Amino acid sequence: MDIVRQAHLAPIDYVVMAVYFAAVLAVGWLLRRLMRTSTDFFLSGRSLPPWVTGLAFISANLGAQEVLGMGASGAKYGIATSHFYWIGAIPAMVFVGLFMMPFYYGSRARSVPEYLKMRFDEKTRTLNAVSFAVMTVFSSGISMYALGKLLNLLLGWSFDASIIVAAIIVLVYILLGGLTSAIYNEVLQFFLIVFGFLPLVYLGLTAVGGWHGLSTQLAALSTSRGFAPDAYTHAWRTMGSASQNPIGVEWFGLVMGLGFVLSFGYWCTDFLVVQRAMAAESMTAARRTPLIAAFPKMFFPFLVILPGMIALVLSGTHGIGQGLIPAKLTAAGAPLLDGAGHPVLDYDLATPMLLMRLFPTGMLGLGLTALLASFMSGMAGNVTAFNTVWTYDIYQAHIRKGASDSHYLWMGRAATVAGIVLAIAAAYVASAFNNIMDLLQLVFAFVNAPLFATFFLGMFWRRSTGHGAFTGLLCGTLGAAVHHGLTLPAGAVPGIKGGYLGVIHMYPSEMSQTFWTAITAWLTCTVVTIVVSLATQPRPDKELHGLVYALTPRPRDNERHFWQRPMTLGGIVLVMTLLLNFVFF
Amino acid sequence: MSGAASLDLRLPIGGLFTALGIVIGGYGIATNGNAMYETSLDININLWWGIVMLVVGLIMLAMGMRATRRHHPSGAVEAADSPMGRATESREHTTGLES
Repeated sequence: MDIVRQAHLAPIDYVVMAVYFAAVLAVGWLLRRLMRTSTDFFLSGRSLPPWVTGLAFISANLGAQEVLGMGASGAKYGIATSHFYWIGAIPAMVFVGLFMMPFYYGSRARSVPEYLKMRFDEKTRTLNAVSFAVMTVFSSGISMYALGKLLNLLLGWSFDASIIVAAIIVLVYILLGGLTSAIYNEVLQFFLIVFGFLPLVYLGLTAVGGWHGLSTQLAALSTSRGFAPDAYTHAWRTMGSASQNPIGVEWFGLVMGLGFVLSFGYWCTDFLVVQRAMAAESMTAARRTPLIAAFPKMFFPFLVILPGMIALVLSGTHGIGQGLIPAKLTAAGAPLLDGAGHPVLDYDLATPMLLMRLFPTGMLGLGLTALLASFMSGMAGNVTAFNTVWTYDIYQAHIRKGASDSHYLWMGRAATVAGIVLAIAAAYVASAFNNIMDLLQLVFAFVNAPLFATFFLGMFWRRSTGHGAFTGLLCGTLGAAVHHGLTLPAGAVPGIKGGYLGVIHMYPSEMSQTFWTAITAWLTCTVVTIVVSLATQPRPDKELHGLVYALTPRPRDNERHFWQRPMTLGGIVLVMTLLLNFVFF
Repeated sequence: MSGAASLDLRLPIGGLFTALGIVIGGYGIATNGNAMYETSLDININLWWGIVMLVVGLIMLAMGMRATRRHHPSGAVEAADSPMGRATESREHTTGLES
């Protein structure tokens, strides 16, 4: 088991961690007396400036899974991983800011499911609220499990202690300061992640001889894996056909599946991120939230993907693997080999291994604290979204209507505790049955994929009805499951990877299958929603003011400077993203 | 009520980075020339990055303090911070004037 070298932390590394823990707890403590009503607790009293909500908007999404996962994908797929940002996030963030925020913020809904209740009906809201609540608990559980396992592997810390200490800190600062505390700490964590990873990328690039050195070394690797020499260092050049690039997708599936369905489904409808914008101080601030977030977001690939690519070529000190990335081990402790006899790499360790290779004592503490911070911000995001949806959309809507505000505030705090306890339980489920978690993530993908169709039709087509939306959502999820059950990625056997209903089509890769599953779900949801809506009674126009595009006055941008207006900001974001695509074409 | 605005976020961020800068930069000074910097390509990354964080932290603190002084001139007490103000606010909550 000496394939993974354990790091030995010095007292100074623990001091760095302690300073960070003190800071997050201090934020919660300083905010505690401001939590008087449920609006303060769940919506930050709608009082935050847009740069704060903007940084929290991306930080809530920047969990440990994202930081480790993007490094892993960087090592697996190269710079093309940036499609998850430049195609898979930015356009949707611009769209939600410019076109959808007026309905979320303007309707005074307190959550995304509540908007569905106003626009459609109670059953559509409940369907969305319940699936979302379950999803947040499990995703923070999976994230906890990943972090506990990592700290155990790298530092030899106890899995139980790592999870419980981190969970208690998150719990304390949310109980004290509610959503404001979560958001403030997310911004703090955002800066910590940036400052922890910037020197890592700098040292890494220096060590491999800059971008040029990295490209040369990756070219050799790329040829040996059967791709063109530039497949790892260019984002678009090899997207013409699925067999030419490491991701195994072609451009249409990428743009439609990732860029349209999955990305818009997540960034435009997921309450985890939308909640941050809803806490903004005004309509313009809410609309600017995702746009401000887009600026750092478009440069994240350099921070989280490059470490993975560098780890692939930087020589390591251990035995079997590639660069710094060790091979996965079998239960007996031997390296796991694939069919061709090559070792199967444990890509998730790419970023942590680089951290340990390049950082001396002191900075190593900072780098590990940045990882901890990413975990906590992801977890706090899930927990605050969970307690709000539970309290407003499930408890207040179905269990106890019309109670006093202080009762709901109390319920929000209780839900915070319950959410964290459930997430810890989910982490242990994950450690006991790895396949159950894979299965759950699959189910969530089915639930999420059709959502954008429902919101898009709801906001821009006044004829769509509650029955239409509800049936569309269910059929979309069903459509995704059927598509997944009938197809299989290359090299897989029927089972959790698909094909359980019989195989009628093989995809070149799992990614390609995922994108087409999402496209199927979205199409099904759109068609069914339209057909059922046309067959059912629409709501009168006067009930839809402020909820549908055609019946809502255009928001006026009354900012003094033209560059502060959402439209201008959105334009700048899109042009810059386009330029980045050209640079790494 | 714009409650949360009464803590300028730049203050805790500035405080955190000032502290980190002092701790890591100080450690860099104490260990200058140490063989452990072989891992970081013979760059004393603790010292350099410590200085960067200290500077960023101090700038954030300065900005946060300036903004806080402007919003709360010395002597003035925010309504919600005085006993009378708090009583008024809680009356408003119970009568439903303020959510």
